Amino acid sequence: MKTLGSKNAPVVMEVFTDYMCPACKNLFEQTLRPMINDYVASGKVLLIHHDFPLNIPQHVYSYEAARWATAAAEIGKFEEVDGALYDNQAVWSADGNIEKIISGVLNQSDFARVKKLMAGCSYDVPPLFKLTASGEAAAGQSCSLDTFIEADKALGNKVPVTQTPTYVITNKGNRLAPGAGYVSWPILKQFFDSLN
Amino acid sequence: MSDKPAGKIARILLLLGRLALAGILLFAAYAKMKPQANMPWTVQSVRVSLSMFAMQVDSYELLPQAAVNFVAHWLPPFELFLGLWLLSGIALRYSALAATLLIAGFFAVVVRSFAAGLEINCGCFGPGEKLGPWTLVRDGSMLAAAIAITVGAFVLHRRGAARDISMGAASPERAGS
Repeated sequence: MKTLGSKNAPVVMEVFTDYMCPACKNLFEQTLRPMINDYVASGKVLLIHHDFPLNIPQHVYSYEAARWATAAAEIGKFEEVDGALYDNQAVWSADGNIEKIISGVLNQSDFARVKKLMAGCSYDVPPLFKLTASGEAAAGQSCSLDTFIEADKALGNKVPVTQTPTYVITNKGNRLAPGAGYVSWPILKQFFDSLN
Repeated sequence: MSDKPAGKIARILLLLGRLALAGILLFAAYAKMKPQANMPWTVQSVRVSLSMFAMQVDSYELLPQAAVNFVAHWLPPFELFLGLWLLSGIALRYSALAATLLIAGFFAVVVRSFAAGLEINCGCFGPGEKLGPWTLVRDGSMLAAAIAITVGAFVLHRRGAARDISMGAASPERAGS
């Protein structure tokens, strides 16, 4: 759902990220964006975004941002919203007004669809969010988007993700050891090239 | 002087320390160069591992690209060389000094990155290890051990040299050898 590129790409890069994390913003703007325009566009790499909002006081709006991104992904507008959230991180992180950023990047019709998906999502993030055995939101959870976010987090915990950004690269089905933190595009590109 | 029990103990400790330090360096080199996932040991798979190590070096956000590549491709072979040198015991005081300088460099970089709040992997013993307080404790302990081995190697060498000189003064044949 939150993927960019060809599903037949030989290399898959999964990135676990938090929209309020400065290193995640740097990774996206300095590395992933040129990668999307180059190796993702040419079918060499499939990029998979996983939300991993950290449950720390400094990242009070991270979960909410992940909900907006997930809602945008539901209507096929993930790439636009993902970029806008990182590019304007300093703005919405200050006041929590993410809706304003999203309304600026989507047209009226798409924004209305996203808003509809966000209906029922209370501003406060449930601190003890639980999934049922089938992976659905537990009773009392009205925000269906949280199911996807919690599924991403569960996936991250299996890696295990202990910091953001964390990335996992799979080459022709072989999963490599996870990496963390910022990596520049020339060095990442060099790594991809070494896999051939 | 080194024939006394205290001298013997010092030599045994130095031997054990040297072997431990050599083992750590050899393992560090192996962990950085070993093939990823199910890849076999080939030049290509080692190249992939070193390129992956370059990503870890880059995550420290300390060096330009050319320097990142230089460090990533030369550090593991240097660790291998240094580990073998320590293991051989040849010119121990110099190999121990080189190891101390290398580990001191690692320690400085790790402390700086931790203080800067970088949430990255250490890369010290291959991929996947988060840089945290434990890294500082471990690298600090390694540095202390390396310093102790270096000092010990220099002291024992000096004592050995002094003994040779004193024996040489008492024995004309030895003095002439």
